[in-house]
Amino acid sequence: MAVVRSFEFSRRKTNRVMGGVAGGLADTLGVPDAYVRAAFLTLLTIWGLGGVLYLGFWLMAYDKVEDREVVAVDTRRGLGLGLAFLGLMLLLESIGWWPNPALVLTAGALAFGTAALTDSSKPGPLAALMDPNVDRPSRTRLVLGVVLLIGGLSVFFTSIGAVFELGVVILAIVLTGLGIVVAFGPWVRRLAADLATERNERIRQEERAEMAAHLHDSVLQTLALIQRTDDPAEMMILARHQESDLRDWLFGSAPLDGVDLVSTALKDAAARVEKDHHVRVDVVTVGDHVIDKKAASLVGAASEAMVNAAKHSGADRLSLYLEAEDDALTVYVTDQGEGFDPDAVAPDRKGITKSIRSRVEKAGGTVEINSEPGEGTEVVLSMPMEAE
Amino acid sequence: MSITVYLVDDHRLFLSGVKAELAEDFRIVGSAFDVDTAIVEIRGLNPDVVLVDVHMPDGGGIAVIEGVNESNPDVKFLALSVSDQAEDVITMIRAGARGYVTKTIEPPDLAEAVRRISSGDAVFSPRLAGFVLDAFAGAIPSEEDPELDQLTLREKDVLRLIARGFAYKQVARKLEISIKTVETHVSSVLRKLQLSNRHELARWASKRHIV
Repeated sequence: MAVVRSFEFSRRKTNRVMGGVAGGLADTLGVPDAYVRAAFLTLLTIWGLGGVLYLGFWLMAYDKVEDREVVAVDTRRGLGLGLAFLGLMLLLESIGWWPNPALVLTAGALAFGTAALTDSSKPGPLAALMDPNVDRPSRTRLVLGVVLLIGGLSVFFTSIGAVFELGVVILAIVLTGLGIVVAFGPWVRRLAADLATERNERIRQEERAEMAAHLHDSVLQTLALIQRTDDPAEMMILARHQESDLRDWLFGSAPLDGVDLVSTALKDAAARVEKDHHVRVDVVTVGDHVIDKKAASLVGAASEAMVNAAKHSGADRLSLYLEAEDDALTVYVTDQGEGFDPDAVAPDRKGITKSIRSRVEKAGGTVEINSEPGEGTEVVLSMPMEAE
Repeated sequence: MSITVYLVDDHRLFLSGVKAELAEDFRIVGSAFDVDTAIVEIRGLNPDVVLVDVHMPDGGGIAVIEGVNESNPDVKFLALSVSDQAEDVITMIRAGARGYVTKTIEPPDLAEAVRRISSGDAVFSPRLAGFVLDAFAGAIPSEEDPELDQLTLREKDVLRLIARGFAYKQVARKLEISIKTVETHVSSVLRKLQLSNRHELARWASKRHIV
């Protein structure tokens, strides 16, 4: 089967012989160029199939858009191609046009033999056959190549009588194919290039529209709100919130599909606290973890600790620090505010402390609260995790 | 003798704001909106500290640092930026900046940072400390100079406390060491950050886009 797994493929721009199709395939498959070229040449003898495939791949492979390869040949399409190929073969067989096996064998042996002799690229999966560490053909490869060449030539000469008639037909087909390529090649290429340009343009336009929509919903709205506000504190909050929102939008990478990270959740929680309680929260994260139930309870507790600090510490900025190791998460919520004597807390604050504690401890973690009057407060939340 | 400061920022509004904030404590010897003017003037004025914006046309803060480093090796740079992308932070530090702060820094903290830089110390914001911890995580030292590629336990302790929002003074008290020792640790981390050819550093920085 031609393709059994999904792969992306694009034509090569440099180091190519014709359209960069063989090179591109070689890159994708991790096989030395020479062998892919040999395969195309061999297939060429089966009713010019190599040429057809080459053109087919050429058409499918759009030019690279920046770094992204555009055409993905997925398993299904690969299966389809394989089936079509098989069907074609069967059809040819049934009408008696089965290509001469001797000719295919000859061409294959010649092409691969030459490839084995000339290939100087980095070894691919076929490296087992060859010595990987030499640039010149290794002895094994030399022997293999020569054997293939001699074998191919001898098969060719012994069967020359039988193939002669067939050879003329093939020559005709190849010449016609070449003619078509020469005549229509540039046109087809330009068509493909135009398509790619159009596609890029459309993507750009969509991006522009999306950006305009986002700026309208966020920045313009906020600017309008700021103009209508005369409370400096309120303005500050609006601006700060907008800033962090815009920053996330500009620089933040979207989390993996459907996977939320602890760092993202903590940043969201911090942003909410900033908005609701008029404080600044400096978030620093080291390492990360995918959110699960345990991590979620930690984030919830951290959020509560932040709210608590915002309400009671008197500080106008808090620090939130996450250190994620493989087997543990630790979150520090620190303020430089008034601090308190943990042994003599007011009942309302005790309630919050208790709720933070029960949340974390229920999930298997620990809570430590360090504070002294006048020294600020630090809440340390730790949670053992299963290594990812 | 007061510390001389030069400012480079293509945002005029921000520039004048910072100028006003710092004018009380320092002697502002000049400012520029663009890279080329900045390089010429800094070479001539040889200020103690240059506050330089990271993102500017014509090469940005890096170009300024590189344009001055050779002719005036004593000029110390503090990078200022609205972006705290790891990539920017790491490139600025590796180009020779002795500190990196975001533009949202409080004026007194900025003044403190300038003072610290001028005395030859490094200025690590909590976020920069976090970046460094992240970048140096995992123990894969290179063969050439393993010492440069790893943080000591003490350095990690110091960075963690900075990342948690503590000032140098508080870090010193928590670890029961002197402020001078804290400064020494931070300077040593800065040196490692600038000289380490730990390849993870660059890869990590370019990979990490989340602010």
